[in-house]
Amino acid sequence: MAHPIVTPRADMAGRQPGLWAAAFALAMAAIAFAEYRGLLGGWRSLPFVAVAALLLIPMTRAANNRQAAAGALSPATRRYNRRMLIWSLGYVLCLGMAMTIKNYFDPQGPLLWGIAVLPSVPMVYFVWTLARYIVEEDDEYLRYRQTSAALVGLALVLLAGTLWGFMETFGVVPHVPAWWVVPVWAIGLGLGQAIMAAAERRTDRA
Amino acid sequence: MRNRLKVLRAERDWSQQDLADQLQVSRQSVNAIETGKYDPSLPLAFRIADLFAMAIEDIFLRD
Repeated sequence: MAHPIVTPRADMAGRQPGLWAAAFALAMAAIAFAEYRGLLGGWRSLPFVAVAALLLIPMTRAANNRQAAAGALSPATRRYNRRMLIWSLGYVLCLGMAMTIKNYFDPQGPLLWGIAVLPSVPMVYFVWTLARYIVEEDDEYLRYRQTSAALVGLALVLLAGTLWGFMETFGVVPHVPAWWVVPVWAIGLGLGQAIMAAAERRTDRA
Repeated sequence: MRNRLKVLRAERDWSQQDLADQLQVSRQSVNAIETGKYDPSLPLAFRIADLFAMAIEDIFLRD
């Protein structure tokens, strides 16, 4: 049950992971806009996407710092954050490879199947990371907190998926690819964590 | 469930972090238990009781 206390660490990453996440989203949006205007595209976009993905590293450090400052960083949480960073970079890499092969080589048959499956491969690591956190977390309250937040994510996926699915069936909304479940779940997870963190800040001030 | 954790901690002049260090949990765990937002498991309740050298029912009170 050893639980070494992790103290806050002040470095360049700061304590605002949301700002780094926003910077990453902004960079990706800028790349998409440049592609739309014909300034980037195909392999020319890859270095820019790679540099944008590097923003996820200080984002993870900032998340660690923020959780440490709030008294909610355990060794298992630190490992979870690091694994999620590896997943994010792996996902960007696999998706980039699949899109590049698709755009330049017009693959058919088994190769097409291979690249169609490729972006989903890191999801195995993602799911494993979620499971490992629950197993490795010694701090029962932090485990409860993460599990509750994950359930908020699941609730959002079920509600949004069912609602959109039926609206699609009745032809009132366009088709949405099924891979949207992950971003929707992640939004729910973030929402759940934010609600609990806000409640903790209120009791901290009291 | 109500508890006397905050009072017991104050009597010993311990911060939440001091108590968390001794229980080997995060400060947020102590905060959540202290404010009644989270009821600890039986093993953690025993660790808390052992630390204060008290019985569990002298720390955690029925609603």
